Amino acid sequence: MAGVVVFGVGLLFMHEADQHFIDLDRMTLLDKQHLIEEILKDTASPKDLRWRLREALSHHHGLFSQVKDPSSAIIFESKDFISVPKTSEDNTLLTWKNEGIEFRAIRSQFLSVTMPASAFEITVALDTQHHQHFLNDLQRSFAIYAVLATLISGLLGWWAAHQGMAPLRAMKLRAAGVSGQQLDARMPIAAVPVEMADLARALNKMFDRLQEDFRRLSEFSSDLAHELRTPISNLLTQTEVTLNSEREGAVYRDILASNTEELQRLSRMVSDMLFLAKTEQGSDLLHKEQFSAAKEVQALLDFYEVVAEEQDIHLSSQGEGSLFCDRLMFRRALSNLLSNALRHTPTNGDVVVDISATERMMQIMVINTGSAIDPTVIHRLFDRFFRADPARTHLTSDSTGLGLSITKAIVDAHGGTISVQSDSTSTRFSMTFPH
Amino acid sequence: MKILIVEDEPKTGEYLRQGLSEAGFMVDLAQTGPDGLHLALQGQYELVILDVMLPGLDGWQVLASLRQRDLHMPVLFLTARDQVEDRVKGLELGADDYLVKPFSFAELLARVRSILRRGRAGTDLATTLKVSDLELDLLRRRVIRAGKRIDLTAKEFGLLELLMSRHGEVLPRSLIASQVWDMNFDSDTNVIEVAIRRLRVKIDEGHEVKLIKTLRGMGYVLEAPEDS
Repeated sequence: MAGVVVFGVGLLFMHEADQHFIDLDRMTLLDKQHLIEEILKDTASPKDLRWRLREALSHHHGLFSQVKDPSSAIIFESKDFISVPKTSEDNTLLTWKNEGIEFRAIRSQFLSVTMPASAFEITVALDTQHHQHFLNDLQRSFAIYAVLATLISGLLGWWAAHQGMAPLRAMKLRAAGVSGQQLDARMPIAAVPVEMADLARALNKMFDRLQEDFRRLSEFSSDLAHELRTPISNLLTQTEVTLNSEREGAVYRDILASNTEELQRLSRMVSDMLFLAKTEQGSDLLHKEQFSAAKEVQALLDFYEVVAEEQDIHLSSQGEGSLFCDRLMFRRALSNLLSNALRHTPTNGDVVVDISATERMMQIMVINTGSAIDPTVIHRLFDRFFRADPARTHLTSDSTGLGLSITKAIVDAHGGTISVQSDSTSTRFSMTFPH
Repeated sequence: MKILIVEDEPKTGEYLRQGLSEAGFMVDLAQTGPDGLHLALQGQYELVILDVMLPGLDGWQVLASLRQRDLHMPVLFLTARDQVEDRVKGLELGADDYLVKPFSFAELLARVRSILRRGRAGTDLATTLKVSDLELDLLRRRVIRAGKRIDLTAKEFGLLELLMSRHGEVLPRSLIASQVWDMNFDSDTNVIEVAIRRLRVKIDEGHEVKLIKTLRGMGYVLEAPEDS
């Protein structure tokens, strides 16, 4: 690159120098021409003339001149005068080559004061070889500079690139150290140039997300093992103890029924987890359709009505709007919120489903009266297997601890949001779905 | 009534055979796709229960071969992959129903009976249902037990209608939720339990003979003592 630049500058310079030399030569030639004219004007005797011309012109190296009197007889000619090609025009700069040497010349007519109506012919010519030498030297120098510049800029470029890549190499090293177990490495944002800081930041954010996902995944695995271990060990113990001695038929039936219930809960947990995994995979499994939110809500309220009545809870809905969702999934999401609300609403409380539309989203809110959820755990409500009330053991509850996670996964798959707010008088779960 | 089970998992197959036999069906069991297809082509089965994942030929292929040979007995699929595509594929091929593993036996039995009842459509057009001294009038939406009118809510009426129309059958909670409330997913609520308890108070309280029974871990059944 640098070589090309130097080469280009060289060409330009050479061209300029050439022009400059032409101008210079023209001026020199005109100068000499005037000198000759002055001499011709001042001097009458041909002898004096010859002498003065020789005095004036013969010392100039590389300058050739010739003066012809009106009768075309040569009155002065410098040594080694070369023949100048005939030109049609006088007073123009003529350039030609003779045996590889470039010459420039100007020819002019001078009307003699002493002999009017007749003219002297003045020819002055210059050997431009010294210019050529200079230009050749220049050309050579430029060539050398160009090569040097190329080499140096190449070296500099390599060095700069090497220096510039240093942060990238540092990042590469960090990245090479990252694995599933080792996700806490971060790109050195402070140590990299501004241009790369954005990349480093983006990579760090990616690592944050991955680390969070990994953490949740491994937590989930251990939670899952824990959730399965207790009921399985209960089932095993109970079955083994039962087999240890002879019992009444009714006792066997009772134990088998109890085992069945426990197994059904486990089976539901497995199905729920499969459902969760499937839903979190993406939204391509959704069968979206347009339907009335109020109608769907009413169907669910009808379903839960008996349970609400049993607990003297007033169950109602307000507002309406149109939803574009997977209807079965929506039912399931809202059903989980409702059953959750009914579990946590005290006797004589209220559960209200509120449907409202904002510009871009439909909001479905489930509001229940009751005491506040502990603010230290509220953000964990949607975590799998999380139970706000640690005293509630899974053996007495039919819940798999996955209900709210499933609701969140369904809302997420639809591109919506879910949130929960709780104060001393009520708790509100809010789902939004895009129109 | 003859049922063919094609299931390669030996324990599952054996339990299904035992369960369905005890429920009063004649049951044959095959363990591979080709065996299943062979039996299905020979015997006069009223229902085929097909596992999807089978050695030799998978469940879809067996079903396709049956339909190609103009055999249109109902087919119930058992699938471990609860993927929507499977569902769509099965229903396109002409499956009548499917169950996702793990499923409860009560649920399977209820589905089997539903499918076989569907095959005999037209016989169920009675406008009144009667079990013991309990009568349900579908047209006038009235329920009478031992000559006394009983007031039911719409959902209670629907629930009783389901129990009576399938009296003697154990109905699992999920089937009741699906048939009466159109809730087609497992929910962890006790809605069905509560609804049955309330219905039982209205129907059975004050009567010596209790018609609605709970079978722990399986579901609910409405039957007259002489039924069992």
